Amino acid sequence: MGYGKSDSYRVATTQDKDDRSPKKKKGATKDMDDLKKEVPITEHKMSVEEVCRKFQTDLVQGLTNAKAAEFLLRDGPNALTPPPTTPEWVKFCRQLFGGFSILLWTGAILCFLAYAIQAATEDEPAGDNLYLGIVLTAVVVITGCFSYFQEAKSSKIMESFKNMVPQQALVIREGEKVQINAEEVVAGDLIEVKGGDRIPADIRVTSAHGCKVDNSSLTGESEPQSRSPDCTHDNPLETRNVAFFSTNCVEGTARGIVICTGDRTVMGRIATLTSGLETGKTPIAVEIEHFIHIITGVAVFLGVTFFILAIILGYTWLEAVIFLIGIIVANVPEGLLATVTVCLTLTAKRMAKKNCLVKNLEAVETLGSTSTICSDKTGTLTQNRMTVAHMWFDNQIHEADTTEDQSGAAFDKSSVTWLSLSRVAALCNRAQFKAGQDSVSILKRDVAGDASESALLKCIELSCGSVRMMRDKNKKVAEIPFNSTNKYQLSVHETEDPNDNRYLLVMKGAPERILDRCSTIMLQGKEQPMDEEMKEAFQNAYMELGGLGERVLGFCHLLLPEDQYPKGFAFDTDDVNFQTDNLCFVGLMSMIDPPRAAVPDAVGKCRSAGIKVIMVTGDHPITAKAIAKGVGIISEGNETVEDIAARLNIPVSQVNPRDAKACVIHGSDLKDLSQDQMDDILRNHTEIVFARTSPQQKLIIVEGCQRLGAIVAVTGDGVNDSPALKKADIGVAMGISGSDVSKQAADMILLDDNFASIVTGVEEGRLIFDNLKKSIAYTLTSNIPEITPFLFFIIVNIPLPLGTITILCIDLGTDMVPAISLAYEAAESDIMKRQPRNPSRDKLVNERLISIAYGQIGMIQALGGFFSYFVILAENGFLPSQLVGIRLNWDDRSLNDLEDSYGQQWTYEQRKIVEFTCHTAFFVSIVVVQWADLIICKTRRNSVFQQGMKNKILIFGLFEETALAAFLSYCPGMDVALRMYPLKPTWWFCAFPYSFLIFVYDEARKLILRRNPGGWVEKETYY
Amino acid sequence: MAKDGEKSDWKEFLWNPRTREFLGRTASSWGLIFLFYLIFYTCLAGMFALTMYVMLQTLDEHRPTWQDRLSTPGLVIRPRADDTFEIVYTKEDTESWDLYAQTLDKFLQPYNDSLQAQKNHECAPDKYFIQEDSGEVKNNPKRSCQFNRTVLQSCSGIDDRYYGYREGQPCIIIKLNRVIGLLPGKDNQAPYVTCAAKKDDADKIGELIYFPPNGTINSMYFPYYGKKAQVNYSQPLVAVKFLNITHNEDVNIECKINAENIPVGGERDKFAGRVSFKLRINSKN
Repeated sequence: MGYGKSDSYRVATTQDKDDRSPKKKKGATKDMDDLKKEVPITEHKMSVEEVCRKFQTDLVQGLTNAKAAEFLLRDGPNALTPPPTTPEWVKFCRQLFGGFSILLWTGAILCFLAYAIQAATEDEPAGDNLYLGIVLTAVVVITGCFSYFQEAKSSKIMESFKNMVPQQALVIREGEKVQINAEEVVAGDLIEVKGGDRIPADIRVTSAHGCKVDNSSLTGESEPQSRSPDCTHDNPLETRNVAFFSTNCVEGTARGIVICTGDRTVMGRIATLTSGLETGKTPIAVEIEHFIHIITGVAVFLGVTFFILAIILGYTWLEAVIFLIGIIVANVPEGLLATVTVCLTLTAKRMAKKNCLVKNLEAVETLGSTSTICSDKTGTLTQNRMTVAHMWFDNQIHEADTTEDQSGAAFDKSSVTWLSLSRVAALCNRAQFKAGQDSVSILKRDVAGDASESALLKCIELSCGSVRMMRDKNKKVAEIPFNSTNKYQLSVHETEDPNDNRYLLVMKGAPERILDRCSTIMLQGKEQPMDEEMKEAFQNAYMELGGLGERVLGFCHLLLPEDQYPKGFAFDTDDVNFQTDNLCFVGLMSMIDPPRAAVPDAVGKCRSAGIKVIMVTGDHPITAKAIAKGVGIISEGNETVEDIAARLNIPVSQVNPRDAKACVIHGSDLKDLSQDQMDDILRNHTEIVFARTSPQQKLIIVEGCQRLGAIVAVTGDGVNDSPALKKADIGVAMGISGSDVSKQAADMILLDDNFASIVTGVEEGRLIFDNLKKSIAYTLTSNIPEITPFLFFIIVNIPLPLGTITILCIDLGTDMVPAISLAYEAAESDIMKRQPRNPSRDKLVNERLISIAYGQIGMIQALGGFFSYFVILAENGFLPSQLVGIRLNWDDRSLNDLEDSYGQQWTYEQRKIVEFTCHTAFFVSIVVVQWADLIICKTRRNSVFQQGMKNKILIFGLFEETALAAFLSYCPGMDVALRMYPLKPTWWFCAFPYSFLIFVYDEARKLILRRNPGGWVEKETYY
Repeated sequence: MAKDGEKSDWKEFLWNPRTREFLGRTASSWGLIFLFYLIFYTCLAGMFALTMYVMLQTLDEHRPTWQDRLSTPGLVIRPRADDTFEIVYTKEDTESWDLYAQTLDKFLQPYNDSLQAQKNHECAPDKYFIQEDSGEVKNNPKRSCQFNRTVLQSCSGIDDRYYGYREGQPCIIIKLNRVIGLLPGKDNQAPYVTCAAKKDDADKIGELIYFPPNGTINSMYFPYYGKKAQVNYSQPLVAVKFLNITHNEDVNIECKINAENIPVGGERDKFAGRVSFKLRINSKN
């Protein structure tokens, strides 16, 4: 364990992934298959000389300038080809012709067609169809522009992420060190890197001095990996003598030969793989498509029915065609596109405020539909910062506070042993805070040095105060740095007490090595001999901490006897001339990259929301499992097959895999699984951790989940996550720690890197899905009172009750704000307590919604409208009985003495004014019945009395639509501009009974629905 | 393969023999939903009928609730011109005006003196013929005043069967649209009709003669009490005879009603309180 731990896992991951994935991917191009294959690097197995020969370079002199120029010409610059960016006009066209817009475009084209037919056959064609066509076009164009600019705004925020600082690299060419632009580095260049540098290309290390690289963005390992010239592994990703493009050198120096540049680097291949992946439609796009199908179906059905009816009634073919087009177009909800866009934008804005930046408007809803989240560990679930988690001293495990804000519990610091332990940890430690950070909180300070030493430094600084003062008091006399043969580090210091001339020897290292050098142990501040019992206790503690996935260090010290080592003794660290055994064991400290504070809560919320959270990490199984347990991905009490085997003390093979709900799967096992086995695992385990996975395997896992019908969200920050991010239904990248590649591939960015923001995203996504349903139900309902007047006009030859202009006034005027206000509606029940929707069953718009909107509420509305129409005509002298069949005379311009039911005679214009007054009244009636519709659409199951009227925007919407209707009716000049006429006050009240009926009817329906869950009413009317 | 699958999916949707579902519903499910909608729509129809009934109860039998759109009654000419509002004929071509004469014949039929005497009352001229209801007791049916065809004299079609069309001196008959309760003119100053040529045609119109004299509509024909109360109401007429209108040229004529309390009609309505038409008499010599 300890320092050796990571090595053992490396062996297990030999030839991690080879030619398996390509077989799985049908239909992918040869190129993509190639990219999914293992990295074709072989240079790590060659000797340095062979590598030099291969690249015609010299180990001392480097390339000649001529050769470098030649190679640069051959291979191109050392930079990643940016993913092909969609030209702006293509993006714009996508907004203009995508999804819902198609419906409106079809409508507009039909309108123009109808107008053309009319213009060709009639002398004075009615302009209605022309205007309608123009308005439809305008609506699509304006909405298209709107959403285009919305997305442009988001992508502008994206731009700012791009790190534009040009990188420099130190190369040796013709024997001279030159600083050149990283883009000009070519294969074969001899390169020097030092701590803090970014590695400019894939390099084969030829010599290294304490060099460590941070591979976390590539493999997900939080700990820096040391680099050396020796080949330690067949897998180029695992071997120590290759350092990868765009990873960071944390400390030490190294020299190496560039073996790959640009897109041929490991990083480059992943980036290319990512940008080449095809992504499917967003769930909301699928829903909108389904919605269009339904609407088109209804429109065509109505159109054709009435076309046939018109023919039977004796209209000419041409007239019937005009009617057909008119009916189809009337079915198009003109305002809905704008409504949906605005609703999504509002949610996107709300989410951006909560630190979820959505790159693509449609992705707003996707998190709400998500049924599986595949989360990366490092940096997403964890803080990506080693922290001391546990200590063992006085034969007791103490827990340290690992929370980001130090809100956790503190342990007992009064023990003398702890003082000794902290002194050892502080002194035998080369890490130090970078200067000028006194105002920064300790945990956030930058540290120069190794991750675990920084962790110790911060831990001591937090609990014992300034480490620097401690070090100043205990001057260092000698030091042996850590190396992999000793596996320990020691230093010799003067003591604090100026009268005490003894030297203090402090040592830390792999616990078993430390234990070997100790003969005593400190308990409650007293040195006691190390007996078997204590050794046993040590082993147990060591095992327990190791089992938590933590990296354990042992600490010991010794006050060197003054007689042997008097003051001024010359300690020789090369040829150790002092005592390094029979030391006094002080304690253990263990470190882990701890989970972020908000994560366990967020995972719990996801789980109660029915979302499966899968951990997919490149890190080691034990660490992964520990973190998974820590954050609740493996919940308390759930065991893996291995756990059961260990508990029952039987071999793993005898355990029924069905008994284990949780499982931890190693990347190397994953590679041997068939597709069916994979499906089996994903289906039968609720809590899954994938460890040691490669980027390609992450992709396979995502594809596996999608194959089972899940809507998958992937969170990640590293380059290794980006193929999965891209493939996922929604990729969520980290805004602060995330790499550019991952941000490019993602659909959503968590600006605060907080996994908990995902919960917000899920909540908002679910809410907007529900609210869009309500909004659509509201908008569609008024379609019926808009279509029926035209149908009756055709069938029973009455004067037209509602004209095109008034229809547009409803769709694009009065209905807009109320429909949008439904986006602000609060959830009816706890939406985070229910299962995610089933994309094949729970549709945005289903036949039940249509049945309610068109068949029930819409019909009541139409009656309300017709009632006020009949009232106005009757009060002006035309009784209903006279109206049927009056149309031909009514619309005859030359008939200026049309007789009404009372014997009065009307000129054409006089009766047209009455007709337009009817249009206005019908319009006002629709507004009145839409009040009730808006209130009933607030809820789908609850009563309005349970839900309350807390939605201020909705209340505003009610007043706004009423005010707008009044304005359109009473504003002087409207008779000329829109042919709308002032109404007598009483006419406003015609539709009130119907408005009331709608409210009562729907409340009754919802009451039955609540009383009889699963009953007929629910099955037929719950949308 | 995929297409076949889609096709069979569709077929199964249409009729699924396994679950006995037609269009995704079983017979009983269809029955229930039909029954629901039947009941639902019946109730709605009932509700609609109820509201309509209540509304009809509020209406007055003899006078509509609102008449504000008829404040300027329309003016209509006979013979009725078609969509173009043109009366065009050739003097010598009998067929071209015969239809006009026939129309007028038919139109004036009810005004025959014998018929009028039989049905209608001889009223005192020059004052409104007011027949008030006495409270709740309706004074119905109400009597109407005679309008005798002979009043139109040479435009009555009695002396000249062709209403002057043959001579190129055509008669046009103008009537004021009926509006219940309308009392045109003030202080018993009867309304009258005047015709004039439009701007450019002023010199072409020639001499006009009105019947009854001055184009007056006698006050005794007002008010109108509606077709239920005043079944035999005879709408007063005014005839205009164009004595020497310029032949072979379009003459645009506008006639209007002159009464102090009839507002001038709006710009949009060309037939409220006025009527325009084009008269063209072609002559071969």
